[in-house]
Amino acid sequence: MTKNKFDPTGKILADFREGRMDRRQFMKLMAAMSGGVAMAGVPALAAAKPARRYAASALRQLEPKVLVYGASQDIATLDPFDRTDYSINAVIRQVYDRLFRFEGGWPQPVEAGLVTEWGVSDDAAEWTFKITDQAKFHDGAPVTAESVVFSYQQTLRAQKQRSSLLAGFLDEAGIVAKDSQTVVMTLKTPYASFDRLLAFLEQPIVNMELAKANEVDGDGGGAWLVDKDAGSGPFTVSNWQIGSVYELTAVEDYWQGWPGESHLSGVVWKKTEDPGTRKLGLLSGEFDMSDTISSSDIEEINANPTTMANVGYGLLGGYLKYNTQGGPTADPNFRRFLAYSFNRQAFIDSQQGYVKMMTGPLPEGVPGYDPNLDPQYSYDPTKAKEYLDMTEYKDGGISLDFVYVSGLDFEEAGGLILLDELQKYNITLNMVPKNWPDIVGACTTPESGPNISFIFDQFPPLPDTWLIEKYSSKSWDRPTGGSFQACSFYKNEEVDGLLDQLRTTTDPDANAAMVADIQKKISADAPDMPLYVMANVLGMNKRVKGFNYFGDISADFWRLWIDESQ
Amino acid sequence: MLRFIGRRLLLIIPVLIGLSLITFTVSRIVPGDPVKLAAGSQARPEQILKLQEEFGLDRPLPEQYLRYMGGLLQGNWGYSISTKRAVGPDLITYFTATLELTLVSTFLGLLIGIPLAITSARWRDRWPDHFSRFISIGAISVPVFWIAIILQIMLAQNLRLLPVSGRFDPRTTYPTVYTGILLLDSIIAGNWQAFGIGLRYILIPAFCQSLLVIALITRQLRGDLLDIVRKDFVLVARANGIPERMIWTRYLMKNALIATISMLGFLIGFQLGGAPLIEYVLDWPGIGQYALKAALQLDFQPIMGSTLFIGCIVVAINLITDLIYRLVDPRIGFS
Repeated sequence: MTKNKFDPTGKILADFREGRMDRRQFMKLMAAMSGGVAMAGVPALAAAKPARRYAASALRQLEPKVLVYGASQDIATLDPFDRTDYSINAVIRQVYDRLFRFEGGWPQPVEAGLVTEWGVSDDAAEWTFKITDQAKFHDGAPVTAESVVFSYQQTLRAQKQRSSLLAGFLDEAGIVAKDSQTVVMTLKTPYASFDRLLAFLEQPIVNMELAKANEVDGDGGGAWLVDKDAGSGPFTVSNWQIGSVYELTAVEDYWQGWPGESHLSGVVWKKTEDPGTRKLGLLSGEFDMSDTISSSDIEEINANPTTMANVGYGLLGGYLKYNTQGGPTADPNFRRFLAYSFNRQAFIDSQQGYVKMMTGPLPEGVPGYDPNLDPQYSYDPTKAKEYLDMTEYKDGGISLDFVYVSGLDFEEAGGLILLDELQKYNITLNMVPKNWPDIVGACTTPESGPNISFIFDQFPPLPDTWLIEKYSSKSWDRPTGGSFQACSFYKNEEVDGLLDQLRTTTDPDANAAMVADIQKKISADAPDMPLYVMANVLGMNKRVKGFNYFGDISADFWRLWIDESQ
Repeated sequence: MLRFIGRRLLLIIPVLIGLSLITFTVSRIVPGDPVKLAAGSQARPEQILKLQEEFGLDRPLPEQYLRYMGGLLQGNWGYSISTKRAVGPDLITYFTATLELTLVSTFLGLLIGIPLAITSARWRDRWPDHFSRFISIGAISVPVFWIAIILQIMLAQNLRLLPVSGRFDPRTTYPTVYTGILLLDSIIAGNWQAFGIGLRYILIPAFCQSLLVIALITRQLRGDLLDIVRKDFVLVARANGIPERMIWTRYLMKNALIATISMLGFLIGFQLGGAPLIEYVLDWPGIGQYALKAALQLDFQPIMGSTLFIGCIVVAINLITDLIYRLVDPRIGFS
C-alpha cells in the first residue's frame, strides 16, 4: 500500500497506529484537521488547504493515451442522484467534481475538491462551505453555490440510494446558497464528522441549468443523466454502449489540472464479468488495468514481464453473522463457542495468505479501530468447549444453516472450515448457497434470517456509521425489516443507548471513548464474528503510472498516465 | 398464404399470455427482495416504500399483472428497478448483438456443417465420415464455455491473433450505429476498418456458438442424404450421365434440406434467446446476459420483458421456417 507523501492525515494515522501518539492526541488533531470547534463560540472558517491546482508546465512531454480498464461490474447508470456501486462511483468521480476528494492514498485523506474553505459552528449543527470560483462545467458555465445546493437537494428529493445516509442529517430546507460561492448546511442532528461524511458520500455536483433543461416529471434531469453528463470533472462522457463499453475523454483545460507527470487522453471502461477473461485481457495487453483479480492469479500476473498486481486492503469486511434472535445462536455462549471454533489459519491458507484478519467490529482504516480489542476471539478449541458446555447444546445433536452467496468460493471456504470443526462437537453445519437477492430478503426478519450468514459489509470510514448500521436494533426492528448488514438482528439496550448518543457527542475524546466502549460490549456479546478484510487486487500493465491505492476496488483515473518508454 | 400468416400471428396471443402468466408467477414465488437490493443497504424505510410504490409492488399481484400487460399493449415494456432504464430500448440493444452473433454463427455453422455432411455421406464409413463424426460428436459433447476459454488462451493470449473478449476494439472509435448490427453498420457507413475489427471480435464467439449448428446439421443432413441417395430418381440421374457433383449438390440437397431447415429454425430460435455462457466468458453484450442478470437480481420487468420478447422471436422464427419450407418444397401447402 502506498502512502500519499502529501498526506498529513495519513501521517497522523500512522503515528497513532504505531503508538507514537495516544488516542486523545489523535482525536484532537483529527478534529483540528476537519475544521474543529470554534473556541469563542462564533462560526469560524477553518484555514483549510484549498484544492491544489496542478500547473500544465509540470507535465512531461508524454503523449496522453487512452487507458482500457477491464472491470468486473457494469455501469448501470450515471444518474448522479441514484446508485453508488463501485463502478458507478469510479466513473462519476471522473466526470463530476465533488466538494471533497479522498483518493489521495490509504487511509483515505480528506482533501479539498470544489471547497476552498469550510467551517462549523460550535454545536456542529451549521456547516459553511466556500466554493472555488475556478471550476467550470463541461459546457463552460461556472460551478456555483446554486449548483451545489441543487445537487444535494435533488439527491434528497429523489430518495434513491445516494440519499440514504445523507437524509439522516439533512433535509432540503437545510441547504442554502448564502451567495454565489458559499453554501450553508444546517443539520437536523449535529454531527462533528459531517465534513468527512460529505467527503465519503461523494455527492457529484451537477450543472443545474443543464439538468433542469432536461427535467421530466420533476426528476431533476435524472432520467436524462442516466447516460449523459452534466459535470465539471477531468473527463467527459464520449461514448456509451450499454452493457459493453463506456468511454470517457479528458477535458484538456480541466480547472484543477493534472497531478501526474502526464495524464490520460481517455478511459474506456470495459465491462468483463468473467475473472479469467479479465486476467487474460491484462496478460495479452488488451487491458491496461483489470480489477477484482482473483488471489490465485496474482503470481501469474507478477511473473509476466509487462504486468503487476497491486494488493491492497480497503474497507470490505467479511463477517459471520449469527442470528441472535432465534435458534442456538440466540445464546451468547453458543456464539462465543462458534467464534473460538473457527480455524483462522486454515482460512488464511485457503486464500493463499491474501487476507487481513479482523480484530473487532471496525476494520483497520476506520477511526476507532482497535488492534488490541478485548475480548478478541482466536482459534481455541479448549475455550470453545468451555463455552459450549455452558449451553444446552453441549452434546451436540443439532444442525445449523450456513448461508453464503452462491458461487463465491471464499465464502464457501469459510463455511467448510467451520463445518469441519463443528463435526467434532456432533454439530451439523448445512451449507446453503443462495443468490444475493435471496440473502437480502432473508435478512429482513429474525424469523427468516439464517442461523449463520457470511456477509460482507462496507461503509465510509466513519465509526458511527459502521456501528449503527450493523449493531443498532433500529437497523432491523422496523416496519420495512432489516438490511443485510444487520443480519445478526442484534439487540442490546445498553449498546442501543450508546449508539443513539454517538453522533451527537461532539467532544472528540468522549466520542472516541464511546466508540471503544461500544466495540468492547459488542465483541463480548459476539453477535457476529469479524473475519477478514478482502484484498482488493488490481492488475495493471507496468506502463501505467501514477497509481495510488486508496482503499477502493478501482483506480482514480485523474492521477494516471501511460509511459510506454517504461 | 396471407391467411396462413394471419392465423399464425394470431396464435402469438395465447402463447404470450401463457408465457407471461408463468413467468410472472414464478418470478413472484421466488424468495428475495429486489426492492431492498435496488434501494441499497442503507436505505431508509421511506425510500423502500417509495421504490415499491414507484414500481407498483405495493399493489395486489393480479393488479400488478394487469397493469403490466396493459402497459405492454401500449408499447411500454416497463423499467428496470436496478438501473431505472426502460426495458424496451435495452432489449433492442442487447438483442441486436445477439442477432448479429446468431447470424454469423449460423453462417459459419452452415459453411462448415453442410460440406461436412455431404462429405460424410458421400464417403460413408470411410475416413472422411469418421472425421466428420468425431467433429460433430466432439462439438456437442465438449462444454462450449471450455472451448471458448481454450480459444481465448490459444488464439488471443498466446498467438495474439484474435482479441480476448468484447465486441469491438476499445481503442478505436465505435462506428455510427444504424441498425445495432455492427458489421452491417460498418458496411452501411463504408467503414471497412470497423468491419474488419468487428469481424475479428466476433470470430471466437461465433465459432463457439456455431458448434451446435455444425454438430446437428452434420448428423441430420448426413442421415437424410443417405436416405435419399437410395431412391430411384438418383439411379435414373446417374444413368442419364448427370455428374455426381450435380446430383449431390442440386438433387439430393434440395430433398434432404426439409428436415434440416426445420432443425435450423429451431436452432436459430434457440440461439436468439441468448447464449449466457458464451456471452459471459467472451463478454458479448447479448440478450442472454441481460436476461440472466435480471433473473439474478429478481428485476421483474426485465425478466418479463426478455421472456416475452424471446417468446415472440421464437414464434416469428417458426413462422419464417414454415414459409421457407414452402419455397423449398412447393408440394407443402399452407393447411
